[in-house]
Amino acid sequence: MLDIQNLHVSIEEDGTEILKGLSLKVGKGEVHAIMGPNGSGKSTLASVLAGKDGYEVTAGSVAFDGIDLLELEADQRAREGLFLAFQYPVELPGVSMSNFLKQAVMSVREHQGKEALSSGALLQLMKEKAALVHLDPSLKSRSVNEGFSGGEKKRNEIFQLAMLDPKFAILDETDSGLDIDALRIVADGVNSLRSSDRSFLVITHYQRLLDYIVPDFVHVLMNGRIVMTGGKELALELEEKGYDWIKDESVQLA
Amino acid sequence: MSPELTHQNNSEEFVLAEQFEQLVGVQPIGQESSWMQNRRQAMQAFAQLGFPKKRSESYKYTPISKWIESRLRFETNGPSIKSIHNGAAVGAEAPPSAANLELKHSAGQGVGRLSASWNGESGIQVQTSNGRLSGTIKGVVPEGLTICSLQDAMVQHPALLNTYLTKAVVLDRDPFAALASAFAEDGIFIHARAELTGGEVIAIHHDALDTNGFVQPRVLIVAEKGASIQVVEHFPFLDSGRTFENRIAEIFVAEKARVDHVLVMERSEEALFVNSLFVHQSEKSYFRTNTVTLGGGLVRHNLNFLPNAEECETHLHGLYVAKGKAHVDNHTLVDHAKPNCFSNEMFKGIVTDQATGVFNGKVLVRQDAQKTNAYQSSKCIVLDRGARTYAKPELEIYADDVKCSHGATTGELDEDAIFYLRARGISRDAAKMLLLEAFARDVVDLIAVEDVRNYLYTRLNRLLTVLN
Ligand SMILES: Nc1ncnc2c1ncn2[C@@H]1O[C@H](COP(=O)(O)OP(=O)(O)O)[C@@H](O)[C@H]1O
Ligand SMILES: [Mg+2]
Repeated sequence: MLDIQNLHVSIEEDGTEILKGLSLKVGKGEVHAIMGPNGSGKSTLASVLAGKDGYEVTAGSVAFDGIDLLELEADQRAREGLFLAFQYPVELPGVSMSNFLKQAVMSVREHQGKEALSSGALLQLMKEKAALVHLDPSLKSRSVNEGFSGGEKKRNEIFQLAMLDPKFAILDETDSGLDIDALRIVADGVNSLRSSDRSFLVITHYQRLLDYIVPDFVHVLMNGRIVMTGGKELALELEEKGYDWIKDESVQLA
Repeated sequence: MSPELTHQNNSEEFVLAEQFEQLVGVQPIGQESSWMQNRRQAMQAFAQLGFPKKRSESYKYTPISKWIESRLRFETNGPSIKSIHNGAAVGAEAPPSAANLELKHSAGQGVGRLSASWNGESGIQVQTSNGRLSGTIKGVVPEGLTICSLQDAMVQHPALLNTYLTKAVVLDRDPFAALASAFAEDGIFIHARAELTGGEVIAIHHDALDTNGFVQPRVLIVAEKGASIQVVEHFPFLDSGRTFENRIAEIFVAEKARVDHVLVMERSEEALFVNSLFVHQSEKSYFRTNTVTLGGGLVRHNLNFLPNAEECETHLHGLYVAKGKAHVDNHTLVDHAKPNCFSNEMFKGIVTDQATGVFNGKVLVRQDAQKTNAYQSSKCIVLDRGARTYAKPELEIYADDVKCSHGATTGELDEDAIFYLRARGISRDAAKMLLLEAFARDVVDLIAVEDVRNYLYTRLNRLLTVLN
């Protein structure tokens, strides 16, 4: 589904290299977790995959379901079925949720050759998917993320994921800032969206989320590279020992 | 009595003063109405001030003298103004009576006509041609509401005109208001008696202008104690060439009265449009205005608010979209003189191409005006490197127990917001459109009349699509 080879990424503005030869393969229907200390480049990876401006890919490749992802604009990637749940969802004053979702769903469905939804069907879909993450349907008349609580913003990301029905979803620290109840709601929502043709890349700083969204693989990202890969037990080990021991190991490796 | 002129005898000012003399000089001195006396005073004020010069502080960013010169090109020997209305034309025909209004309206050769308007279904609709009432009034005018020409009002309501006409205008600071007041032969008079509390909607369609015409349309609105009305003025796109409209409106809001006012400006890119608004508020009154500028070549709004009584509430909203070489300048003054008043000012602009947006917001809180709450914000989005904006908030506060704030922002569209939308499959253009519409609709949402709101949503959508 996703095949990242030796990816090198620098900040366009000052040339600082953030990702330094990252490789990662995610198969269809698999859930991969990426863990790593703050500043290790997790969000940078998510942004580069989603097509955000301001980064320069200096080497490497990303194949997404057989196509060259890096050739596509951000909106094209979304229409191809890539979804990013933002670590910091952006507030859009004056843009109503319903108008936003209508345009997003329309452009994605049209591109994928799916039939257009009537406004009635769209509303019905919104109602259904909002219920997945316990969002009040009245949110459709609110501005996107404006005045949403931290938890609502994160649930809203998963709601949008459900609406757009992507092949591949990246969750960037969807757990940060959530209390345990909200975390459960978000995780339940995500779990209900797991399927054999949807893959997930779950980025998190803490192991806690992975108790609920149980991954098939866990990777450790440090210094712009995947330095360790394991099963779900690796998350527990990291929780216990922190990242320093890996640091020591990678120093040894280097 | 000749105005003391310091101007050269081929200057615009000189010729206008001559015009004025020829127009009013024939009236028997001593028997003049107070209106006529006011007009003479206004002419003197104008003669003294003259049009703003290039170095004039309040027109620092707005090259208005250039625009005036190119529209009022006078010959040295004798005035030859092409087409001047509201009395300014030499040997102007007698003001049309109600009976021949309709005829005149349809007769005009080369009179630009409106291209688009809202389907004014709600309320009362009137039209103007060259600033004068024309056609018949559509809709039912209820008991207690008067809508007529100022000429008719002079005959039927002389006491009211004596009380109000030109009384809100500050002549000695504003040459445009002074000039318009000097040539105030006619205009529109709207009067709501105390019993009229239903928020009647009155739409004024400024639908026709002579080609290259110089027009000084005047509106006088009086809402008596406790009355409530809504007035919407539309200056639609007209293919009338290099027009110069020097428009003036005076609005008096009596005790506990409410006036909700909207002005929509959509003239062509050749039009010079100066709008002077003077609002006079009495105790516990409410006034709101929304100045929407979507067209015009050089547009200057001089908006003056004088809540000269306690517990007044004033809302000033404005929106402008300037493209091409358009120049839009909103110049506002809120002058709080009495305690316990509230004012809120919000202007938003979108400028692109080589257009310019100027905002100057002065809030004056005088010593007596304790417990004033005065807020101001101006936001401008710049879509093109060639576009320019200037924003200058000026707060002058002489009272100590007040709450005032202001904020001015200018910038491009938020790239993070664009990326968020694109990450959901929305194209860059559609994303920009969504954000621009949201930005602009915010102001339109505050307009009470649904027809007008919907009309503006549609117009904005079209306009912003073209910009993108
Ligand atoms: N657009 C950017 N401009 C400048 N520095 C950036 C930018 N994006 C990321 N960085 C830097 O790259 C490093 C990795 O950041 P990030 O990917 O957000 O880490 P993480 O998500 O793992 O905490 C940090 O040092 C951060 O400051
Ligand atoms: Mg991060």
